[in-house]
Amino acid sequence: MCGILAVFGCVDNSQAKRSRIIELSRRLRHRGPDWSGLHCHQDCYLAHQRLAIVDPASGDQPLYNEDKSVVVTVNGEIYNHNQLKEKLNSHQFRTGSDCEVIAHLYEEYGEDFVDMLDGMFSFVLLDTRDKSFIAARDAIGITPLYIGWGLDGSVWFASEMKALSDDCERFMSFLPGHIYSSKQGEIRRWYNPPWYLEKIPSTPYDPKVLRETFEKACFKPCALALAVFKRLMTDVPFGVLLSGGLDSSLVAAVAARYLAYSEAACQWGSQLHTFCVGLKGSPDLKAAREVADYIGTRHHEFHFTVQEGIDALEEVIYHIETYDVTTIRASTPMFLMSRKIKSLGVKMVLSGEGSDEIFGGYLYFHKAPNKEEFHEETSRKIKALHLYDCLRANKSTSAWGLEARVPFLDKEFINVAMSIDPEWKMIRPDLGRIEKWVLRNAFDDDQKPYLPKHILYRQKEQFSDGVGYSWIDAIIYLHILYRQKEQFSDGVGYSWIDGLKDHAEKQVTDTMLMNASFIYPENTPTTKEGYYYRTIFEKFFPKNAARSTVPGGPSVACSTAKAVEWDAAWAKNPDPSGRAALGVHASAYEETIDANAMDLIKSPSRKIQKGIEEKTATA
Amino acid sequence: MCGILAVLGCSDDSQAKRVRVLKHRGPDWSGLHQHGDCYLAHQRLAIIDPASGDQPLFNEDKTVAVTVNGEIYNHEELRKKLVNHKFRTGSDCDVIAHLYEEHGEDFVDMLDGIFSFVLLDTRDNSFIVAHDAVGVTSLYIGWGLDGSVWISSELKGLNDDCEHFECFPPGHLYSSKSGGFRRWYNPPWFSEAIPSVPYDPLVLRRAFENAVTKRLMTDVPFGVLLSGGLDSSLVASITARYLADTKAAKQWGAQLHSFCVGLEGSPDLKAAKEVADYLGTVHHEFHFTVQDGIDAIEDVIYHVETYDVTTIRASTPMFLMSRKIKSLGVKMVISGEGSDEIFGGYLYFHKAPSKDEFHRETCHKIKALHQYDCLRANKATSAWGLEARVPFLDKEFINVAMSIDPEAKMIKKDEGRIEKWVLRRAFDDEKHPYLPKHILYRQKEQFSDGVGYSWIDGLKAHAARHVTDKMMFNASYIFPHNTPTTKEAYYYRTIFERFFPQNSARLTVPGGASVACSTAKAVEWDAAWKNNLDPSGRAALGVHLSAYDTETSLNNKPSKVIDSIPRMMEIPGVAVQI
Repeated sequence: MCGILAVFGCVDNSQAKRSRIIELSRRLRHRGPDWSGLHCHQDCYLAHQRLAIVDPASGDQPLYNEDKSVVVTVNGEIYNHNQLKEKLNSHQFRTGSDCEVIAHLYEEYGEDFVDMLDGMFSFVLLDTRDKSFIAARDAIGITPLYIGWGLDGSVWFASEMKALSDDCERFMSFLPGHIYSSKQGEIRRWYNPPWYLEKIPSTPYDPKVLRETFEKACFKPCALALAVFKRLMTDVPFGVLLSGGLDSSLVAAVAARYLAYSEAACQWGSQLHTFCVGLKGSPDLKAAREVADYIGTRHHEFHFTVQEGIDALEEVIYHIETYDVTTIRASTPMFLMSRKIKSLGVKMVLSGEGSDEIFGGYLYFHKAPNKEEFHEETSRKIKALHLYDCLRANKSTSAWGLEARVPFLDKEFINVAMSIDPEWKMIRPDLGRIEKWVLRNAFDDDQKPYLPKHILYRQKEQFSDGVGYSWIDAIIYLHILYRQKEQFSDGVGYSWIDGLKDHAEKQVTDTMLMNASFIYPENTPTTKEGYYYRTIFEKFFPKNAARSTVPGGPSVACSTAKAVEWDAAWAKNPDPSGRAALGVHASAYEETIDANAMDLIKSPSRKIQKGIEEKTATA
Repeated sequence: MCGILAVLGCSDDSQAKRVRVLKHRGPDWSGLHQHGDCYLAHQRLAIIDPASGDQPLFNEDKTVAVTVNGEIYNHEELRKKLVNHKFRTGSDCDVIAHLYEEHGEDFVDMLDGIFSFVLLDTRDNSFIVAHDAVGVTSLYIGWGLDGSVWISSELKGLNDDCEHFECFPPGHLYSSKSGGFRRWYNPPWFSEAIPSVPYDPLVLRRAFENAVTKRLMTDVPFGVLLSGGLDSSLVASITARYLADTKAAKQWGAQLHSFCVGLEGSPDLKAAKEVADYLGTVHHEFHFTVQDGIDAIEDVIYHVETYDVTTIRASTPMFLMSRKIKSLGVKMVISGEGSDEIFGGYLYFHKAPSKDEFHRETCHKIKALHQYDCLRANKATSAWGLEARVPFLDKEFINVAMSIDPEAKMIKKDEGRIEKWVLRRAFDDEKHPYLPKHILYRQKEQFSDGVGYSWIDGLKAHAARHVTDKMMFNASYIFPHNTPTTKEAYYYRTIFERFFPQNSARLTVPGGASVACSTAKAVEWDAAWKNNLDPSGRAALGVHLSAYDTETSLNNKPSKVIDSIPRMMEIPGVAVQI
């Protein structure tokens, strides 16, 4: 990942302004430790902090077209840059950077080229000929981008909020799949895949197509990485984040297979490296080890202590830019692990985010009443990813100059997966279909197994923290309960969450919490843990606009409120404050869900209650 | 390089304090050990044993905790001596806690390497702090109003919390039991007595080769900084020669990587390329523009923590290059600092009136290194998590080099002895040449100039645009201490003051009377210089220097000398510093 910052039309263009821009851009340096660049054109500034993955020698940014009239600063990877370059055969390229195509595509196609890009990106492009500019963000929001407005009429863009929060009067998340054009002066959506309309698709499920598309989605980033590492002086491998759950295990299995095939070709003898983080003896560590042994990767385990996690919290919040409790819980281990990974010389990792959203991997999908509802819910989930798992995966790795690539969120893969008749995705215990069955089945290859069956069909923790939605309704609390046994923050070790809560308990008094609604009228924290995170967040990002970038408001509640209707018992309790009642329903639900879930939930009911209260409380 | 920070005996031991202490962090990992009201924090750059050597480190029963920034080259020997001790990690610094157990406070001189460390003995709540012989690593000490003692690798780790702070003197030990500093480093040369060992080229050569090879101890990829001058070329040549036999070569390949920075077409780039071609290294050139450099100045000052003009000029290209080097996956580089001080490589040594004066001047120079070249080499690289190792400042090598009868070091043009002749001669091997003769005997330019002539001009022009004559006029009121006398200096100073506004901070930068005194001796070497000791007599000094300069036939244009070859001459440095 790189870090970008662009400012257009600021009144003051003195040296002081230049210094200020440099200073602000420096706040993004963790994202791009390798080099920085600044292009200044009258009252427009484009700054860039680079993490060199492709063409380390010459690809410094900003990038230009032939006559330097078009300037572009990009954070991202364009996987199909070679194909695009072929189309642009009349153009002359200055660097080997994959992002250089953007300037040339703009020359050729004007503003309508964004959908031609396959990859993850956010970029700002300045056309010096008419001093117009555009900014765009990838389809799902894998890369972060913020837009802001200064009192002097300037428009700002930055990869992270911290670069513009002090200088803008107002700012917000730049919507994924959108483009801002100064000519039109508005933000419009460029990403228009069939699934976006939430119409119910009817393509029959074809395991082979799904598998092949996913393999391709994994190869793209790998191939790009291999091209790179050949150029690096040392034999720097990339790796896979492996929690031992289905999604990350599949990514690792496919990547390992691909490496094996391409090994001879690129005479790069290394094994695939996999990484896992956890408190000593945690479930993730064990599960990941098992998968790593099976695939034969070079596996690295990182242990952290609760105290180390607590010590890192301030930095985590500064980097992730959220006060969402569950995101912070899940980000911390990832943040710590990223540092260790980077210290081994690894610059890029593949990660398994997005699968739960696409395939309805969350427990509450068990209750989806029909395929239409199921499909709509997955669509909504994908649309909100940029606020939760994408944000976490991107920022907790970028904090240490590590890049996370997420093959499940490949544009083509999403199209294929979201065009499958959702009937197939429905969870049907009667047909032996557990959640994400279409994915599991696609990789169930008896001849050349990707994973042993028991792992392939294991209902296990996911790396992703789908719990971002937690506080909004009953199901989700329940769902968390179920998943808490298994999801990331817990997979790293059961005492992690307990440790966090104990710590917050010590820092936040009852009186503080009592007055919380006066101090924080928006997204009021209702637990000490939430309060504690919030105070740290407010210290770094005191502006109103900053707290509005974090979800938790009614709009998100609305979007999943749909799912609340799936069960009459839940529907009766849409009120988030109906905490106690929710708890009761939670246990009621326990009796109805499948045996596997039962086992997980069979913890003492007091604990369940406590868990639910807490989830509700984060509302 | 790692970063250490220790707070000992603070009244507040809350979480807030913990976080405050952790604020200053390094790239690979960080560790914090808290014992009562004492905190030992560590930010690690993992060079040896990346997997298990996280700090703080402990003795067997964890009663002694130590946080270290540095490398102990003789750790394997020391481990052998500590047979009845059990080591938890493979870290080279692990020996420190055990040596303390065995020898109490008097073990520091047994360490061969570069280091600064804080050791906490929890049994009696005492602590010691030590800094390596010459100050290759950086270290600061400060005192809080609450009675706490703060130790930090960089100024920025403690300046906000201490009432007073200063550079931790190199070669010293601070012990809480005795409550004061004590010098542990007592080599023969320190007393500045004139040595009489006859010059033996082979002894010198072997000593330096040893110094280089022991620095090849690493578990990560590394390279050499190669400016094409004598010192860096020798380092590169020796490294290339011995690399094949090392453990590092087995892991990372026997190809040596060398790095050079400069404006496009600069003299350094050309010279370095020539040497690299001769040695067959994989050579990397980094080009920067004057604008790149100017944009980095604030960052450089923040990292290097000085407002010394010549240090900033020389640090900037090194700072930019370090980032590029690190981005290639290299974590450690070997560099040529220290040779000019040890051998009297500066041009003004031509005028040394006697061997006694010559020798004393080299001693003074070495003692001041931690404020100039060591500071630059260490902090400009550490800013990007790159470690610089300086074989010329090897303890044993300094002993050997400083025990040579200084008569041999004297510059005698009539005998064909140019500056650093003893070093050149030591590596003049006809059968297995280290370097081609013309490089071995070449008089080269120094860092800030070698990167390209327009660099200094660009800096001055930039400063002139931002500092008005009126500002200069009032400079002595605004900055009564070390008043900047040029617009460039004024410009740097304002940036420095913004980051480090405390009075203590400006006192850590040399320029005061003490440094001026130490080199004032050398000013006496020429009557013409002596007449211009007045700090305002800068222009006059310039004239004399340029006169001298033409005499020694350097190619610099006389009018430029005073500003464009600052560190090399040192005399203009004196003028600035008075």
